[in-house]
Amino acid sequence: MDEEYDAIVLGTGLKECIISGMLSVSGKKVLHVDRNKYYGGESASICPLEELFTKFGANAPDESYGRGRDWNVDLIPKFLMANGSLVKLLIHTGVTRYLEFKSVEGSYVFKGGKIAKVPVDQKEALASDLMGMFEKRRFRNFLTYVQDFMQDDPKTWKDFDPTTQNMTALYEKFGLDKNTQDFTGHALALYRDDDYLNRPALDTITRIKLYSDSLAKYGKSPYLYPMYGLGELPQGFARLSAIYGGTYMLDKPIDEIVLGEGGRAVGVRSGNEIAKCKQIYCDPTYVPDRVRKKGKVIRCICLLDHPISNTKDALSTQIIIPQKQVGRNSDIYVSLVSHTHQVAAKGWFIGMVSTTVETDNPENEIKPGLDLLGPVRQKFVSVSDYYEPIDDGLQSQIFISQSYDATSHFESTCLDVLDIFKRGTGEEFDFSKIKRDLDLEEQ
Amino acid sequence: MEHTEPHSTEPEMANRQGAAQRPNGAQGKICQFKLVLLGESAVGKSSLVLRFVKGQFHEYQESTIGAAFLTQTVCLDDTTVKFEIWDTAGQERYHSLAPMYYRGAQAAIVVYDITNQDTFGRAKTWVKELQRQASPTIVIALAGNKQDLANKRMVEYEEAQTYAEENGLLFMETSAKTALNVNDIFLAIAKKLPKYDQNQGQSGQGQGRRLAEGDQGAKTPGNCCK
Ligand SMILES: Cc1cc2nc3c(=O)[nH]c(=O)nc-3n(C[C@H](O)[C@H](O)[C@H](O)COP(=O)(O)OP(=O)(O)OC[C@H]3O[C@@H](n4cnc5c(N)ncnc54)[C@H](O)[C@@H]3O)c2cc1C
Ligand SMILES: Nc1nc2c(ncn2[C@@H]2O[C@H](COP(=O)(O)OP(=O)(O)OP(=O)(O)O)[C@@H](O)[C@H]2O)c(=O)[nH]1
Ligand SMILES: [Mg+2]
Repeated sequence: MDEEYDAIVLGTGLKECIISGMLSVSGKKVLHVDRNKYYGGESASICPLEELFTKFGANAPDESYGRGRDWNVDLIPKFLMANGSLVKLLIHTGVTRYLEFKSVEGSYVFKGGKIAKVPVDQKEALASDLMGMFEKRRFRNFLTYVQDFMQDDPKTWKDFDPTTQNMTALYEKFGLDKNTQDFTGHALALYRDDDYLNRPALDTITRIKLYSDSLAKYGKSPYLYPMYGLGELPQGFARLSAIYGGTYMLDKPIDEIVLGEGGRAVGVRSGNEIAKCKQIYCDPTYVPDRVRKKGKVIRCICLLDHPISNTKDALSTQIIIPQKQVGRNSDIYVSLVSHTHQVAAKGWFIGMVSTTVETDNPENEIKPGLDLLGPVRQKFVSVSDYYEPIDDGLQSQIFISQSYDATSHFESTCLDVLDIFKRGTGEEFDFSKIKRDLDLEEQ
Repeated sequence: MEHTEPHSTEPEMANRQGAAQRPNGAQGKICQFKLVLLGESAVGKSSLVLRFVKGQFHEYQESTIGAAFLTQTVCLDDTTVKFEIWDTAGQERYHSLAPMYYRGAQAAIVVYDITNQDTFGRAKTWVKELQRQASPTIVIALAGNKQDLANKRMVEYEEAQTYAEENGLLFMETSAKTALNVNDIFLAIAKKLPKYDQNQGQSGQGQGRRLAEGDQGAKTPGNCCK
């Protein structure tokens, strides 16, 4: 350990592993450390099942749960958008070769006490029971507009300037009612709250396009989920980093970040070993005095022995409960994965309900989500603070990622990673650096 | 009879699994297996792969960087066995090998350097770990590498062979430098791997897909194909 590195990365959560991979690929000498003896930190998938029960202080699972090691339970629920930035990162870095995915079977939205399939194309829009007959036509026109929209071709903007006019104005242009606005903004554009209504419409249009492009990719829903759980993702990027020379040490407690002149990080200390470096990249748990609380997330892991009602017995689904439907300021997300992803024993399902905490009684806040799941065999609730760094890290050369938020997909994760990389290295990540080597490798 | 003619395959081959099936086996079946390499640093893991896949040897092979995932096929009678070969990328050095590495591995080559007794001890530890953690049907081969340096030998052939027999391992002394037994050890593994029906094992239901650029949803093969 007593060596000098360009960068030391602390924590093996997904963000840190992606950053570590990008740094190694860019030719930096990287040391990657985790205090735990497993990969993934917060984004690990817990295996075997006994360990999950122990973690939450529950009595050991009985034999009805099958073999414990057939379970890989995520602590943080998320899906990948098939055409989203994480998938692009996986493909460009070649990490996708270490992983296998399945398409999530259905995407639903909660309206008036029931769930309905999220309509994404014109045919589905016309068949949907989310809207009345006239509203359906208006929504179809809106979808056509979005599908034809091209940012660099103002002719397709149709007398509407999405860079200055806001989303409310676009909804009004098509005469969409509040209900339609609700599922469009929350189940298609995947906003967590309604702030987007007052911002230029361009961002929303781009997000809806991402949704429908993702859907077009593999059908059924725009979401993908990795076999064996989300914990495979950080491991895949860690392997990329190692392949490009990154050094890995798990089970290594970090006692101190060593600071030099001007409060700049110059290394980390573990026991009486010191590893020197020019920069540190880490998650908030390694630097409690350099982050501030941004909010709280509640996540409830539910083990079920049945699928969710009214989803055509889908083995995987996502259900979004838009804030307004249940009188809240942020959406509630429900996700379901199962034995088909090798994350649960045969016949078992893992439901997860999560949201941004708004009251003193978070468990009560997720009730609308839990009600959708039906009978739950075992429930594990966690409420965690999420943090953001207090500065941009340029002075200290300590670059800190934000905790994982309540969103149900990885788009914000990737944005944070690319931003950190740019702050840390002063340049955008150059994907062409890997392409070439991979070609060599495959020939 | 059988022959080993290492030739690199196009990446998309993996996606056409099963397509080659003929009722009478004239075209033969294609089976794909994940094979992992384990062993102390510098015993020659990467060199063995390089020799097997590309027929090359580098005297000053650097500690593995850059390439750690290769594919190579071996032909056995009517069966084409495709190995997906994973190299550790050094993650094992500080006991930090990710479970993803050995997940689903159907074969492993545990390598030691015949000129270094410590590497043989470490190889035994890997074998134990495989027997404890890996799939009970995993095929394990022990490779005593750098056989060309037999004049500096520190591990006796008989000692390793006895150990291998006791533990049900395939065993060969190899040399990535002279190519001795390199193809043979992969071929021996290919012969020993179960090539039965795809209803067995994890193929068919329960398989995911790999993602690729311009992907239309390629399926990855499972344990074995038709
Ligand atoms: C060297 C090594 C170290 C490891 N270290 C770790 C570690 O640190 N942490 C960790 O979590 N995991 C570890 N593992 C385990 C590893 O992650 C996988 O669980 C293991 O390789 C099996 O993968 P699989 O998904 O193919 O297994 P499975 O799907 O569980 O199946 C494995 C095999 O067992 C057969 N099988 C299935 N059910 C049964 C049954 N009831 N009885 C008998 N056979 C059955 C299957 O047909 C299959 O061939 C380690 C494995 C190895 C080889
Ligand atoms: N003489 C001789 N040298 C070999 C042989 N195989 C490998 N070497 C040499 O041994 C050194 C290490 O080989 P590698 O293939 O890099 O070993 P490795 O096990 O992949 O090492 P790590 O990647 O560090 O884990 C290189 O200098 C090789 O040239 C062999 O069969 N004979
Ligand atoms: Mg190597």
